[in-house]
Amino acid sequence: MPNNYFNTLPLREQLEQLAKCRFMDISEFPEGVEALKGKKMVVIGCGAQGLAQGMNLRDSGCDVSYTLRQAAIDEKRQSWKNATENGFTVGTYEELIPTADVVLNLTPDKQHTAVVKAIMPLMKQDACLSYSHGFNIVEEGMKIREDLTVIMVAPKCPGSEVRNEYVRGFGVPTLIAVHEDNDPKGEGLALAKAYAVGTGGHKAGVLMSSFIAEVKSDLMGEQTILCGMLQTGSLLCFDKMVEEGVDAGYASKLVQFGWETVTEALKYGGVTNMLDRLSNPAKIKCFDLSEELKQIMRPLYNKHQDDIINGTFSRTMMEDWANDDVNLLGWRAETAETAFEKTPAGDVEISEQEFFDNGILMVAMVKAGVELAFETMTAAGIIADSAYYESLHETPLIANTIARKKLYEMNATISDTAEYGCYLYNHACLPLLADFMKDIKTDVIGRGLNVEDNGVDNGRLIEVNEALRSHPVEAIGSVLRGHMADMKKIV
Amino acid sequence: MTHCSTIRLDNLAVNFDDRFQLTDINWQIEPQQHWVITGTNGAGKSALAAILAGVINNGAECLSGTVEGLPARVGLVSFEAQAALIDAELKKDDADIMDVISEGTPVREILYEDCQDTELAEQLIEKFGLELLLDRSFRKLSTGESRKVMLIRALASKPDLLVLDEPFDGLDTKTLGMLQQHLATLIDTVPMVMVLNRFDEFPDFITDIAYVEKGTLQHQVRRDDARAYAELYQLLHLKTTDLTIPTADSENAIPSLDPEQPLVRLNNITIKYDEKKVISDLNWTINPNQHWQLSGPNGSGKTGLLSLITGDHPQCYVNDIFVFGFKRGSGESIWQIKQFIGYVSTALQWEYRVGTSIRNVIISGFYDSIGLYSKSTDAQKGIADQWLALLGMANRADQPFNKLSYGDQRLLLIARAMVKHPPLLILDEPCLGLDGMNRQLVLALIEKICAGSETSVIYVNHHPEDQIKGIDNYLAL
Ligand SMILES: NC(=O)c1ccc[n+]([C@@H]2O[C@H](COP(=O)([O-])OP(=O)(O)OC[C@H]3O[C@@H](n4cnc5c(N)ncnc54)[C@H](OP(=O)(O)O)[C@@H]3O)[C@@H](O)[C@H]2O)c1
Repeated sequence: MPNNYFNTLPLREQLEQLAKCRFMDISEFPEGVEALKGKKMVVIGCGAQGLAQGMNLRDSGCDVSYTLRQAAIDEKRQSWKNATENGFTVGTYEELIPTADVVLNLTPDKQHTAVVKAIMPLMKQDACLSYSHGFNIVEEGMKIREDLTVIMVAPKCPGSEVRNEYVRGFGVPTLIAVHEDNDPKGEGLALAKAYAVGTGGHKAGVLMSSFIAEVKSDLMGEQTILCGMLQTGSLLCFDKMVEEGVDAGYASKLVQFGWETVTEALKYGGVTNMLDRLSNPAKIKCFDLSEELKQIMRPLYNKHQDDIINGTFSRTMMEDWANDDVNLLGWRAETAETAFEKTPAGDVEISEQEFFDNGILMVAMVKAGVELAFETMTAAGIIADSAYYESLHETPLIANTIARKKLYEMNATISDTAEYGCYLYNHACLPLLADFMKDIKTDVIGRGLNVEDNGVDNGRLIEVNEALRSHPVEAIGSVLRGHMADMKKIV
Repeated sequence: MTHCSTIRLDNLAVNFDDRFQLTDINWQIEPQQHWVITGTNGAGKSALAAILAGVINNGAECLSGTVEGLPARVGLVSFEAQAALIDAELKKDDADIMDVISEGTPVREILYEDCQDTELAEQLIEKFGLELLLDRSFRKLSTGESRKVMLIRALASKPDLLVLDEPFDGLDTKTLGMLQQHLATLIDTVPMVMVLNRFDEFPDFITDIAYVEKGTLQHQVRRDDARAYAELYQLLHLKTTDLTIPTADSENAIPSLDPEQPLVRLNNITIKYDEKKVISDLNWTINPNQHWQLSGPNGSGKTGLLSLITGDHPQCYVNDIFVFGFKRGSGESIWQIKQFIGYVSTALQWEYRVGTSIRNVIISGFYDSIGLYSKSTDAQKGIADQWLALLGMANRADQPFNKLSYGDQRLLLIARAMVKHPPLLILDEPCLGLDGMNRQLVLALIEKICAGSETSVIYVNHHPEDQIKGIDNYLAL
């Protein structure tokens, strides 16, 4: 059984690692990709992250090639096609790993132990091994050869976004870290910075963090607000509308495209801006709903965070890995059978504003989820910057995947780890909200408020506005969005 | 009530002194309409106006087509008519040379020669302050004064149609105001056709605009069609203003290139998808200051070929490509390549779905980015504003790009591509998807660019009519 690295550390160090996070200014990257010049970079795996990162690095002047497992090469799998069609050299582990100065492990997290065990003996003395997610090191306690430098460069976006933003001349926010147990020559940070520049991340903002903070915050965000809340919310909102007689095609469309539309407003001005899109009476209604939701769901968020911190989550998931993913596959099939998933979006026009007006409950769920995830993470010692990226920042990106092909697409795009956590959340959250949903009517989901005039009590409105603006996720959000000045102008 | 019926010009071609021809004129003027004829100098605006004033068989020859419904009484004011009158006066002088010295025809006589409304004539004489000049010899008047005489003469002749060719030229502001006021009182009684060059001079009552170019009537635009009207404004602006391309940003100049080296050298290029070769064994060298036209049917690989040059095609790493001093795949970054290239295509426009201001769109050309992610300098903002002025969009600098018309977006992307004065400008079907007017706008802009800079142009197109002057190298795929 793997040995949880985090749990081996003394409390003092656990807290120190969790709190490690500093926003780096673009002026801290004057050397560009210099530290990687003349070095040979070999990427293992050519999936979503592998292809996008490799193309960016090559376009930044780095020497990039790919190594795939023998079967992928022999069968000319998609990963092989991705690499060869884009003009990269592809070879076996034996052919390429020994030549590599930097090995980029971009295989699925679940495969990391096997992959790293296979390639480590082939790696050059003093070379560098990099990850885009620290699960293997932190949760599985993988021990890496002492002469090797171990770093992490983790783009906070799906692979497609990593590539698209680079091509636009920009990048995506990126977290970098050095595994302190494996930095024999003290060059880890320089390599990680150069790698972040090579993928364009420095233009959008780099967080210097630790393996531990990355893993514990990443897991928390993805299983609660990002994927879990959107999945649970989709199912509840759709079923409620159908139950109340809203046309199923309409309901399907409102939910499928509603997340994307309402969370788009987060990119520009956070939760405050999202609620500002509602009429005054709707805003007050939405605020009240989200307060109620937060109260109901807070214990669930705490539980997820606790299980992540103490290793319960990764342990149970790895038990499922060992059991041929029986749970994961079962839950995936179950999701595919839900009414929301099986009802195609109707051929109706829904205006941008209508998604807000008729989706008050969805807005309330996003607000509650973002704020709860943020509050829970910071309470666990994770720094606000990190908590912001793992909650509010990524929500619209995940919402886009639902707009493309519903929950199927979301769960296909996110990692297996995120998917597993998402189902756990969903299973706990559905019953938790059952009573709450009984009182929900179509005024907050499906048809919009039916009010004669838009008048509201001024005092109450001022209170609500004040509460929205003073939430800590809004303060850090406006600072970090400021760093990405023009990102918010992209539509 | 007007006494004018519909005037129709059908398939008309007219020869003026063998010096100038109007061709393919199809035009209909309804009694309640008031037209402006506009266009560049020498386009044929005055010639078209002269047809309405009855020049056919009276100095010009009809080659084909018909004119119907011309009213008997047409009031004409134009420089030509004014010049002809003065000319005639001078001839009289010559004729009288042996006699007593002639004073020439007095203004009074000229004014009342054709007058149908003495009362109006007197009013106008007073308004225009001509009382003291009535007994003066016409030919001794200043240009402005004689212009006023011509105007009063035409207005008081109770015309069924007024043709006013640049009527506001040479008038002082006070007179201009008075004239415009008077014209406004006539709109229910006389249809008017004016030749005017400047949009800001178009009176409010104008209902329709005719745009003349190269002797033909190219566009007819209704005043209340706001979009077409704005495009026409831009077209006229681009065609008539003396354009100079704004300078590059001297603080952040592009590195200079070895003039002896080609800009681009492609050796035995192959592009293939799934083993299917789209381009094979192609060689192409582009030297500094060469302009190229690239053509070929759909799917022949034009865009793929260009993206090998720009670095957007991943197969640029498996081909033998030399661009701007770099052998591709030798450790250079694509931004080092892109800094030398300006690029415009429909695909770029599709990708450029950005809500940023149009000023920022132009500035983004300095950074080769879609959207603007860097702090721009004051110098760059200044240059962007000069480009906006050149495009006739100065008053729209802060509007969001994605809200503009398709044609305006294209013009802006061309300006974005040119803003840094790249050694190489690639225009991949720049007119694709544009209507006639926007095509002309784009071509007018490109021609200015080709004429006014050191940039080599690669121009891709299908349409033989979209030729650009100055391109003399061709590559067909
Ligand atoms: N997706 C995201 O949004 C995201 C964001 C940040 C970081 N990350 C991290 O990036 C890493 C890669 O994730 P991804 O989403 O890019 O994965 P992915 O799309 O599933 O791609 C995985 C690649 O690894 C190969 N692979 C699978 N099993 C393998 C094995 N046993 N041995 C060797 N190669 C194997 C696959 O190719 P074959 O099956 O053809 O061999 C495929 O090319 C993960 O650590 C993830 O946490 C992901």
